[in-house]
Amino acid sequence: MRRRFCRPPRMAMPSLLGTEPAEAEKASAAPAGGASALPRRVLAIRLPRFPVERLRRPGPVAIWAQQGSRRVLVSVSEAAETAGLETGQTLADAQAILPEVVLVPEDPAGDAAALERLALWAMRFTPLVGVVGLDGLVLDIAGVEHLFGGEAALHAEMRGRLSRQGLSAVVAVAGTAGTALALVRDGWGGIVPPGQEQATVAPLSLAALHLEPALIRVLQGLGLRSVGTVAAQPRPALARRCGAGLMRALDEALGLAARPIVPIRPPPEMAAARNFVDPVVTRDGIEAALDGLLDELCRALREAGRGARRLLLRACRVDGAVQEVAIGTGLASRDRRHLARLFREKLETLAPDCGFDRMALEAPMTDPLIGLQEDLGTAGRSERREELAQLLDRLSQRLPVWRLAPRASHWPERAMRRVNAFEAIDTLEGWNSRPRPVRLLRRPPYVGAVALLPDAPPSLLRIGRDSLRVTRAEGPERFEPEWWRDRPDRLFRDYYRVELSTGSRLWVCRIGFAEAGTEARWALHGHLP
Amino acid sequence: MPAPPPDSLDRPAVISALRARIARMERAGAAEALAARGEDAVPLAPAIDSGLPWGGLPRAALHEVLAAEPGAAGGFAAMVLARAGGTVLWIAPEPDAWPPGLARFGLTPDRLVLVKAPREQDALWAMEETLRCPAVGAALLVTGELDLTAARRLQLAAEAGGVLGLLLRPDADGAAPTAALTRWRIGAAPSESPSRHELGDPAWSLDLLRCRGGRGGTWRATWHEGQASLVTEESAARRTPVRRRA
Repeated sequence: MRRRFCRPPRMAMPSLLGTEPAEAEKASAAPAGGASALPRRVLAIRLPRFPVERLRRPGPVAIWAQQGSRRVLVSVSEAAETAGLETGQTLADAQAILPEVVLVPEDPAGDAAALERLALWAMRFTPLVGVVGLDGLVLDIAGVEHLFGGEAALHAEMRGRLSRQGLSAVVAVAGTAGTALALVRDGWGGIVPPGQEQATVAPLSLAALHLEPALIRVLQGLGLRSVGTVAAQPRPALARRCGAGLMRALDEALGLAARPIVPIRPPPEMAAARNFVDPVVTRDGIEAALDGLLDELCRALREAGRGARRLLLRACRVDGAVQEVAIGTGLASRDRRHLARLFREKLETLAPDCGFDRMALEAPMTDPLIGLQEDLGTAGRSERREELAQLLDRLSQRLPVWRLAPRASHWPERAMRRVNAFEAIDTLEGWNSRPRPVRLLRRPPYVGAVALLPDAPPSLLRIGRDSLRVTRAEGPERFEPEWWRDRPDRLFRDYYRVELSTGSRLWVCRIGFAEAGTEARWALHGHLP
Repeated sequence: MPAPPPDSLDRPAVISALRARIARMERAGAAEALAARGEDAVPLAPAIDSGLPWGGLPRAALHEVLAAEPGAAGGFAAMVLARAGGTVLWIAPEPDAWPPGLARFGLTPDRLVLVKAPREQDALWAMEETLRCPAVGAALLVTGELDLTAARRLQLAAEAGGVLGLLLRPDADGAAPTAALTRWRIGAAPSESPSRHELGDPAWSLDLLRCRGGRGGTWRATWHEGQASLVTEESAARRTPVRRRA
């Protein structure tokens, strides 16, 4: 039922490639200049109608945008185009030509988000996927094409899958990202054999270079109408006249300069993936698939002597949607049961809908983890530490968990700082020399107090409606504000430990001294044991 | 009249042996594990321990602390948590545990982990997970009213994991039934310091309201911080009649 990684080639090798993939790699190793053993192969996708097609609406659809005082179409669906609509038309014209057209205002942020989701979906082909502009994707497919039965089969599968999602796409494979992008920009889809980049790019129009419209007009005014003719001009003169941007675009398109791919997700340190012929829909099925993936990944981690700190489960739905679930651990772990338990809490967020046809598990962050005895029923110290770490992991998937470390400050609210639950705590010298409440009130209530003298301890406290007689009092302990941290108008506090006639002990403070004509403000900051 | 078979054993002895066996099975082996680790009940004060059937506050169980006075109850809870040893988890909707006060009872910050659980179901889940983990020494849950099923779940979890669980609740309705092994009400008592300008050691009134298999009691005790010991006042110690568990 399951197929892992390898799927049989669906297509025969096209004559364009001619050779077996392995031979093709060998043949292309020479022109790549020997920088790396594996020659670069990049697949570029351009989606010319992405903003309108991503809406998946039936019938003619067009997207319009406000440009100055005009409302013009910026993207039209295929049905609308055959009816005579085109980009750049005004909204009034479009409605006159085709009254039933569905007009949608543009949403660039939604487009960008949808393109990123598509890029996530494309990670089923390779871990290195980048987004280019508003309508393009680049995939580094070096070394993964054999998983799909060769470059041509990968190319065909990509096109097939995109068209099944209702997206019209131009897909090209070339030796560099720049070349592949230049090809798809000009609408040329196909596979460029290694070493033939320049010959393929030369006849393309200037649209392939992605230049400013003004610059294109300048070049066309000079009679240069294809990439090849521009490249044939003397470079110094061209650079002087048209700027360095043109030279860089030209070099990238011809494959002379490398164009890096900025991946949307950093490539994982380790990963495992499974494809399903029958989509997985049920929770049981998802858990079983996850178990298998965890098994595989944990084995790889053990062989590498590492443990995962973060894991990412990426589930690709049949309709192209991609959902991600991430977990983190405090200590590096490769305990399959523990990791499965952490995921179990979060699998509820997945919405399989019509089913997942691929699930991938990645470890974007790993730490060395060696010499651990697993599944040995002794209760040594290190194992208990491990168990505690696992408990804290489980809790912190759902709730905030932290420790408190002393800080060199006498101001009560600042005496402790929150630290990670897995951090070691150092205590400071003499940090708890005085009696203090066990719980510090978050929002200290103001209380009324009666004191015989302005700087005397209170003899009566009014908390709510109760008047409480103070029988004993210790203090004051004066805390001055920290001028290097506090705002300048903060007042000092005089803290008193008082005991009421009932035996209750309170930690109260007077904030500053009483101003003339007003009462001093008192606050209750905690209950002493 | 047929005589009893000569090999019949002492009936009470057989029954008590069976009871002990059932208790061992019910506690899922946690008691044996604890005994193997040399960890037995948490001592409070000699006079109180002698009245408890376990010789102290047992681990692998849930105990309720009703706070008649928040300061005294916090102090009592801090003392129990500190004496339980190991890592302590403090679970609350808004954890306000403050290590400068806790450390004076022996609960140092490196043993304390705070968990914030604003919703009750999250808090119960966190408490249950914690009680099931043998690497934890004790756990405290700050909660309001707790229904019997939830408390029973926590009690079973504590038995499985061998962790001492404390429920810190306001003293609102002490009559509700509980699944916890013991229920205490902690209040403050006026201290015996002779001076008006010195608070002296704090005094607490400890009411053992319920105790499964034991007797309730009321004590007045003083916490001596210097010796880190709780000292009961013999004169005030008086035993109340047995109150059966509801």
